[in-house]
Parts: sequence; C-alpha cells; structure tokens
Amino acid sequence: MRRPWDLSERALAFFFLVPAFLLLSLVAVYPAAHLFLTSFRELHLALGTQGAFVGLANYRQLLEDARFWNALRVTLEIVLVTVPGATLFGLALALMANLPYGIKWPVRLGLLLPWAMPLVFAGLIFRWFFESDFGIVNDVLRRLGQGPLFWLTDPILAFWAVALSIVWKTSSFVALVLLAGLQSIPREYYEAARVDGAGALQIFWRITLPLLKPALLVALIFRTLTALQTFDIPYAMTGGGPGHATETLAMFIRTQSVENLNLGYGSAAAMTLFALSMAVTSLYLRHLQATEGE
Amino acid sequence: MRRMGHRAWLVVAALLVLTNGTFPAIWILFTSLKTEAELTRTPITYWPAEPTLANYVRAFQEAPLPRYFLNSLVVAAGATILCVSISALAAYALARLRVLFAHALLLTLVALAMFPTATLVVPLFQIFTTLGLRNTYLGLILPHAALSLPVAVLVLYSFFKTIPKDLEAAALVDGCTRLGALWYVVVPLSGPGVFTAALLAFVNSWDEFLLALTLAPAKDMRTLPVGITLYQGEYLFPWPLISAALVVALVPVAVVIALFQERIVAGLTQGAVKG
Amino acid sequence: MVTRVWLLVLAFLASVAFAQQVRLKVFIGGQQRPDVMRRILDVYEQRNPGIRVEIEVGGATSDQQQQYLTTVLTSRDPSLDVILIDIIRPAQYRAAGWSETLDRYLPSATRDQLLRRYLPAYVQANIVDGALVALPAFADAQFLYYRKDLLDKYGFKPPVTWDEAIRQAQIILQGERDPNLNGIGFMGNISEGTVCTFLLPIWAMGADVTDEKGRLSLTEEQARRSLQFWLDLMDRHRVSPPNMAEKAQDTIRREMQQGRWIFATLFAYAWNHFQNDPDSRVKDKIGVAVMPRFEGGRSASCLGGWQWTISNFSRNKAQAYQLLRYLSSPEVAKVLALEASNLPAFPELYRDPDILRLNPWFRDALPVVMSARARPVHPRYPEIADAMRRGLNAVLARTRTPEQAAREILQGLRTIYGQ
Repeated sequence: MRRPWDLSERALAFFFLVPAFLLLSLVAVYPAAHLFLTSFRELHLALGTQGAFVGLANYRQLLEDARFWNALRVTLEIVLVTVPGATLFGLALALMANLPYGIKWPVRLGLLLPWAMPLVFAGLIFRWFFESDFGIVNDVLRRLGQGPLFWLTDPILAFWAVALSIVWKTSSFVALVLLAGLQSIPREYYEAARVDGAGALQIFWRITLPLLKPALLVALIFRTLTALQTFDIPYAMTGGGPGHATETLAMFIRTQSVENLNLGYGSAAAMTLFALSMAVTSLYLRHLQATEGE
Repeated sequence: MRRMGHRAWLVVAALLVLTNGTFPAIWILFTSLKTEAELTRTPITYWPAEPTLANYVRAFQEAPLPRYFLNSLVVAAGATILCVSISALAAYALARLRVLFAHALLLTLVALAMFPTATLVVPLFQIFTTLGLRNTYLGLILPHAALSLPVAVLVLYSFFKTIPKDLEAAALVDGCTRLGALWYVVVPLSGPGVFTAALLAFVNSWDEFLLALTLAPAKDMRTLPVGITLYQGEYLFPWPLISAALVVALVPVAVVIALFQERIVAGLTQGAVKG
Repeated sequence: MVTRVWLLVLAFLASVAFAQQVRLKVFIGGQQRPDVMRRILDVYEQRNPGIRVEIEVGGATSDQQQQYLTTVLTSRDPSLDVILIDIIRPAQYRAAGWSETLDRYLPSATRDQLLRRYLPAYVQANIVDGALVALPAFADAQFLYYRKDLLDKYGFKPPVTWDEAIRQAQIILQGERDPNLNGIGFMGNISEGTVCTFLLPIWAMGADVTDEKGRLSLTEEQARRSLQFWLDLMDRHRVSPPNMAEKAQDTIRREMQQGRWIFATLFAYAWNHFQNDPDSRVKDKIGVAVMPRFEGGRSASCLGGWQWTISNFSRNKAQAYQLLRYLSSPEVAKVLALEASNLPAFPELYRDPDILRLNPWFRDALPVVMSARARPVHPRYPEIADAMRRGLNAVLARTRTPEQAAREILQGLRTIYGQ
C-alpha cells in the first residue's frame, strides 16, 4: 500500500514546486547567471573594453580597493545596528498592537503605515527631517534649548541618522510578520498559563517567544537581507557622504556599474554581496529547520 | 481600579504605536497643504499657516494620477494573486510533502532575495524586451510576483508548519486526497499566513520603483512611484506638490491595510487548535 | 478568386506603404517639456511625410535618465534613435560605443562651419577624440544671482572679483542685521552641482583641469586653494553658514526665493521661479552677472545644457541624423526659448527681439553663457566628478583638511588620466 502513495506524493510535490521555480528561473536565475559570468570579464564600457575573460582579476582588484572595504564595513555596521534595532522595535510594536483593543484597526494601521511608504520617498523625507535648518529633529532640539546638530554632514551623526531612519522604516515590516505570528498563538495557552499563576514576563519568555520563533526567524532573514542591500535611504539622505562615511556596498555596486560603467567590476562586487547573503541566510535557515524538530 | 489602570495602558500603547507610525504621513499631509514659501520659514511651522488645496489640483493637472493609480492597482493585485498562489503551493510542498533536499530548495528560493534589484535590471530588461513584455501589465506582474516569492514562501512555510499534522492525517484517513486535505483543512487554518503573505506582496509591488521605471516607462503604463518622481525637475524638487501626490498614493494602501488586518484577525477566530 | 487576388494586392500595397513610413523615437527627460517637444516634432512630421516621430519620456533627473539609458544601451536595444543627453555625457557615450558619430554625415569642412554658429564651449564639449558626438539642444550655465535691491541700497555694482563679492556680502550682512539673511550660497552636497563649485575658483584663477591637449594640468596647490576658498567663506569671512555641506541646489534656490541669500551660484532654471512663482519674495529684485574672478584670473562659469545624439543601435541612422539637424537648428532653438524659456545655444538668438520680449534677462545672460567652460571631457568623467565633489564635500563637512582632500583628489585624477 505504501509505494503508490509515495510516488503520487513525490509527483504532487514536484507539481507544487514547479510554478515557483519556473517563475524564478525567468526572473532570477538568468540574471544571476548573467551577473556571475560578467564578474569574470573585463567589461568597462567607459574604457571601451569588450568583455574579455579575465578570471579572478576583478575580485583581486576588489580586495585591494579601499573604497570597497569601506563600503563593506559601513554595510556590516548598518546590519549590526539596524537588524537588532528593527527586530526589537518591531517586536515591541507588535506586542503593543496585539493588545485587546476595542477598535483594532487604527493601531494596526499606525503599525503598518511606515512600511507602506515607497522607499524612494522615505529617504527624501528623512533627509528633510534631519536637515540642519528646516528639519523637525533640530526644531525639537531647538525648542528644548539644545543647539542644532549637523545630522547629515557629521560622519558619526550621519550614520546614526541613517540607521535610525532605517530602523523606523523597517520595524513595521518586522512588526507585520511578528503580529501574524502572535495572532496564531492560541489564546488558550495564555489562559492556561494564567490559571497556573504565571506572570506577564514569564508568559512572554516561556510561551510567546518560543512560539514566535518561526516568525522571528522569517523576519530576521529578510531584515538581514535587506539590511545588507541598504541603498535608498543613505542615497537619498547623504549620497554616501560626508566623504564615504555612509556609502554602503549596494551604493558601491551601483556607482561601479551604472555610473562608471565598469560592469565586470560591479558584478564582482555584487557576487560578494550575494555570497555574504547566502552565508547569513544559510545560518538562519538551519536554525529554522532545527526549531521544527519539536 | 484595576480596570482603569488596564485601560490607561491600552491608551498609552495605542498612542505610541499610532504616533510612531503616522508622524511622517501626517507631516506629508500637512506639507501637501502648504505653499513652498512656508517651507523656508523659521521657526518651521507644523500645521499649515495658510492651508491650500492648490497642490492637489496641480498634482492632478500635471500628471494623469488616476491612470498611474490604476496601473499600480492592476500590477499590485495581479502580482499578489500570482505570488500567493504559487507560494502557497511551493510552501505546502516544502512543509508537508517529502521533498528531496528541502533545505537546499528553500535556500534557492530565498536566494533571489539576495540580489539587489539594481543588479538584475539589465538582464531583466533584455529578457522582457525579447518576450515583448515591455510596457505591459504582465511585464511588471511577473517580476513583482517573483520579488515577493521568497518572503511569501517562507512566511507560508512557517505557517504551514504550525498547523498540527494530525488534522491532515485525520482527513487523509477519512479518504481525502492530498489536494483535498490542502484545500479543506490547511487553507482555512492558514488565514493569518495567507493574508500576511498577500499584504507583503501587495505593498512590495505598490512601492516598487526601479523595475517599474525600467520595464514600464511609457506614460500610460507608469505606476505611482515612477509617476510621482516625475514631478521633479532637473534640479527642482517641489515638496508640497510631491507631498500631495504621495498622499494620493498612500491613502489606498492605508485602506488596503486596514481591510487586510481585519482578515488577519479573522483567521484566528477559525480556532487554530480546536480540531 | 478575383476578390482574393485583389485582397492580396491591397495587402501588399498596404504593407509597402507602411514599410515606407519611418518611425523614429526620441528620448527626452521628464523635465524637458515633452509638450513643447511634441509640437516641434509635429512640425517636422508635416514637413516630412512618411516619417513619424514618437517621444519616449524618461526620468526627471539626469541621474534617473542615466539609470534607464544605461540599461537600454547596454542591452544594445534598437528602440531609441535620437537621445537627449546631459552635457557631461558625450565622452562616455562615445567610449561605450553608444553614440554614432555625426562626422559620417558631415564632411569636415561643413562641420567646422556648422560648429562656429554655436556657443564656443559646446564645440569643446561635444567633440571627443576629434569626433563630433552630439549637437546642442539648448544651453545652460551657472549664473551669479544677486539681490539687485540690496546691492543698490548699499551702492554696489555687481562684484567683479571674489574679494569684492565677499566684502559686499559682509557689509550688507552687517547693515541688514537680518538673522535669516546669508551671504554667498553655493552647492556643497554630494551632487553634480558641487563639481561646478569645485571648478569655479580653479577657473577663476586662470587654471583648468586639463590643458589644450587634454593632459591633466591641475595641481594639488590649485585644488587646495579652491577647497580652502569655500571653507573660508564659512569659517573666515563668515559670509556663508556652517552647514554648506548639506546644501543642494534647489534648497538654495528655495531659500533665495524667500529672500535669504544675497548671492547664489545657480543654473538658469532659477530665474523663472524667482520672477514668476506666486510665492516669490524676490520678484524684480534679482539680477544675474558673470562669475567673479580672482585678481589676475578670468571670469568663467560652469557650462550646462543638453545635447542631441544618435543611438549607435538605431536602425534608421540616416533619418535620425536629419531629425537631429532639425532639432539642433536655430529655428527649434527659438521655439524652445519662447515656449520653454530655454537658453539658446546660438549667440545671435540672444538679440532676437521676439525672444527678448519674453525673456528680457537673456540680454544679461549672454555674457555669462559666453564665458562658460565645459567640465572635463573624458570617458571616465563620472569618476572624475566623484573625486572632486566628495573631496569638496568632505572639506565642507570638516572631515578632511583642504591639503588632505586636494591630495586625494589629485591621486584619483592621476590614476584616471594615467599620469
């Protein structure tokens, strides 16, 4: 009785997976392969080179490029600050949004609205907020008696202004995923725990957090991936300045590919970003699979 | 007494979440009612000193906003439906059926999300030109659906995993096929997951800029983000005008969110464990 | 049977007729008045039956257009025939093989004759390695905008040297005692305009980035002096506020429109806003002058403007060339001047009575445009520009001293110029 069952299950799995992989082949596999191959070519349109195969030359050049290392460092700093930042903030927002309100939609709307703003404009809006003359951040500081700060031109302040804006914008994506996760925790669990005499904190640690793990991991994966690809917000806020203080890897890639027309070099940098993303996601996914073993 | 304290906390939490989420939107709303002169006033004003609707009038005059809106709607709706259906199938297969190398497949699916869109633009442009899909709805629906595929699959995967296997097992014992079990048992229970994935796909598509700019630049095919950036001049950045257009673009998304979030709640009332 | 034959014949004739019709596509940016361009192209279609010209409108900023065009042209897409490109692009387009040279259609004798009709700086900007890559659509330049009313009040004439400008600004600031008024406004953020800011003092000294042979002639000392000059405006002379590293061009335009600057170095677009915007506080109070120079130097401003070029992947290059000649002709330049207030690329049009009636300020604009210089013409211009503007931005943000930044800029330039 087992054999036909197995076969039809395998066949079913195949058919269920085919549409996704078909779509991905079209939109992802070909471009990714193209990118991979270009990274081994000398294709610098501004120099008129025609794409000769040069092996690892582009990668070697990257290793010696101080600007690349700077961009990598800035990107990793952004990841280390904004991933935990957005996750914690998003968790707090989701928990607050999950309280038993009479009317639910205003809070939920407020939760998700930041995420609904197109990234293209979010960066510009934050640039305006942090402007030293007319921005609201300095206006508030002035009203509190503090002098205006140069958020966009001091290298350290600029980093934090960018990081803060990113955390604000992306925390609502995290909140959305976590809220859905919170909603799927049956209320009976909480009731049972309360009956057993557990306090709010205990409930959070023992029940909420463990059951939230899958959602948390999903949020973390995508938050990390987008953090590694940070482009729009620093681009709009500081253009990567002052100097190169807020220039991320994605900005470096774009400068090389689109502005300098050094497509081979830009592709090599993109592949390093991909390798980094792959490594990080692998770790997360292994964790995700492990947690289902229960 | 206790209920009073409880109510107070609710109000505080609600205000915090609301303020955090809406202050830029409110700022944009206020700015859309101001004139450009007011933006360079010091100290800065919050509520417009002389509110005007002129920016909204100009926004509609200078560009076919309703058309952009329609385009965004068609593309986002199409991308959402396509993405969620494909993702649900794939996620179910990975979560429930015995698939070889499930982990590796999951990783491959997510791998797409590891490339910044900017690096994919040139080859995508070539593919879609060859397919004759430039400046078409399908030409944006397909890439937008694909872009949200990784996150939708992963969200649905983790949701399907939380549904106890006994429920389906019971259905199968009762004589259901796998497909039937999926339709009658799993789908109703995964309300939160499905609507979360749908919301993710919808907003991702609504906000997407680079591919929309590259694959559908024609005037009658532009989506809202692309159309709104065109209010700029080469050096000119008319904040009040763009703010008005942004308000027009954000309101429908806000409505969609308000509607969808109810559904996320409704999914819970199906009773996840009652069985 | 007979009907079938007739149908076939009709179909054949129709396809031949259709094949005779040439379809050309012109690419322009969103901010370049597609409505005006449409009318111009309608006239061309009337004069050339059998040719249909469509407009494709790209992004609103030079950057967005470049993003799109890079994708299209890297893919060797044949859909575009004539493209409107920024003045800084011809060298890059030629090196990348994206532009067809116009010399194929222009014998060199007539070429020189043709080029002499345009403003001289455009000759320099559009000829790359001896090949003519593009022809001007309309001109633009960086002007010294000043508050006529304030200068008159203190009995000043527009400054001829930078020292004069600084002194005038200081006296006016002292006299007005307006906390919202600032002296000299310039671009300092990371954008293309800041490249012009860096180059202005260098030109004003009488120097330039390259010599006539195209070799790098800029010295570290000259770069340092330029960087120091702008820093001094903020720190020593105090005619500019301390946050100039943040300032984008439109921010300064907006502020000047509300009366917050005495001087500003802005491009031509600002004029119409100052004169015609309903909320402008400086209507009839603004004048334009040539850029001040340093003692013993020369007055030079940054050349802007947009150029027409033929896509190398066009399938109708001969027709595209004809269209391009029309689009870069004095006739079209006059239409653009009248309907879109674009500065013409032909000096004689600045004295045209119809144009002057609508744009009286063109009379003052002419000397500025005549003194405008092109930014470095090099296929790797984006890297050159990046080095310059980041260097200036870092100095203004005080993360680099002028000496350090000058050294870094020259290092970058030497690598690019191979010296």
